[in-house]
Amino acid sequence: MVKKILLLLLLLVAMVPSAYAQRTILFATDATWPPMEFVDNNKQVVGYSIDFLKAAAKEAGFKVEFKNTAWDGIFSGLLTGKYDAICSSVSITKKRQKKMDFSEPYFEVRQALVVAKDSNYTRLVDLKGKKVGAQIGTTGYFTIKKADGAIAKSYDEVGLAMEDLKVGRIDAVICDDPVAANFAMIKYHNDLKISAIVKTDKTEYYGFPVVKGNHEVLDLINKGIVAVKTKGIAKKLKEKWIGK
Amino acid sequence: MKKIDIGDGAAIPSPDDKQLLSAWWIAFVGTIALLIALPIYDPDTYGAVLAFIPDGIQVTFEVTILSIALALIIGLITGLGRISENRIFNLLASLYVEVVRGIPLLVQLFYIYFALGRIVQVPDIVAAVIAMSFCYGAYMGEVFRAGIMSIDFGQSEAALAQGFNKAQTMRYVILPQAWRTILPPVGNEFIALLKDTSLVSILAVADILRRGREYAASSFDYFETYTIIALVYLLITLILSKLLAHMEQRLNYYEKR
Repeated sequence: MVKKILLLLLLLVAMVPSAYAQRTILFATDATWPPMEFVDNNKQVVGYSIDFLKAAAKEAGFKVEFKNTAWDGIFSGLLTGKYDAICSSVSITKKRQKKMDFSEPYFEVRQALVVAKDSNYTRLVDLKGKKVGAQIGTTGYFTIKKADGAIAKSYDEVGLAMEDLKVGRIDAVICDDPVAANFAMIKYHNDLKISAIVKTDKTEYYGFPVVKGNHEVLDLINKGIVAVKTKGIAKKLKEKWIGK
Repeated sequence: MKKIDIGDGAAIPSPDDKQLLSAWWIAFVGTIALLIALPIYDPDTYGAVLAFIPDGIQVTFEVTILSIALALIIGLITGLGRISENRIFNLLASLYVEVVRGIPLLVQLFYIYFALGRIVQVPDIVAAVIAMSFCYGAYMGEVFRAGIMSIDFGQSEAALAQGFNKAQTMRYVILPQAWRTILPPVGNEFIALLKDTSLVSILAVADILRRGREYAASSFDYFETYTIIALVYLLITLILSKLLAHMEQRLNYYEKR
């Protein structure tokens, strides 16, 4: 009996410091989106969004943990409470805002049209009746769906769409411009090119979605984002991961 | 109540029993009822999913029918190869079965589409059919082999004594009898293949599952979407299993007398 009480006390003592320790926030990330978030050769999740969030955490005083999660279903996991937030280049859209709360924007993106090096497609209208690929459930995919007459093909990962474009099974891929640049200028620079930036009426920004109504986590993240932006860390990270 | 012993044949209802409350009927009526009631209950979610997937159902059927037809042909050749006295034919067939059985279907799909895609480009549905039939051909081969071997050796002896050559013996004496043993497991493989076609959605083939995932990804109606997807697959396999049961019964017609 005494032993049990002692054990209980020991447990309590062990738990007390954690109450004062920094809050750990669990983020889901689909690390297949270079250079924003991807798995490097050391099997670590790295990238612009990851570094940005780590810097924000340092500024606002919380800890981050990442959980590599498939994109298709990443929102479902958030809605069912499997993690606190998502750090995965999520563009802030009206439809998504209905289901989740978004942090302050942390990055501005545009949709880029990636085509084969020898192709002449420069506008969405050129792609009437052509197969255009994108990652499932991304703003790139929704852009194709909105485009008149293009046949939308959805892939689990943007890399698979790029591979299909390289071997010639589809005619174009639409995705966020930093990712498009990574594939068209580094990985597949012999075969692919960015032919255009898709014009939209509204500017698109990345944010970190959290469970609707979770103000505690949202405030912490926002505090960090503001600090990272004002201190000029964001600019340095942009130079590191994206270049010009 | 009659006490039923283990192994008592009476425990298994005969297929001839016209039971209204069989498991099949409950599942079938339940599935249909849900597929009708849910879209009426909420047309904006359940109804919208159902309206989104018909071309996916068509693709699933295309892949299934083409794959099963090819797999049957490959399976018959492989099965004959596995019992062949021709050493090379036998070795090739056995090698094929060993290799295919040892690689997961999902990996085979990726291999044929993305790895071989670097060398030869085939359209996505063709890649899906090749991978599915290549995989299932090996399993079918084993089913055919077992079916052929289940026929008493006396049958071939008698046929050969009658002056049939080996090919004729196989064609006119062994295979027609073997069909009865082969059909039930082939039917199972057929249904398994139909369900496994959901794996081809990974190749961006717009089948039932891919269409459902596309719908869920933009609407966030995960529960509603996957409920409908599951019900649609269930309805298709229920109808298929009933058709196969009927075919089995007809093949066994003479044995019952």
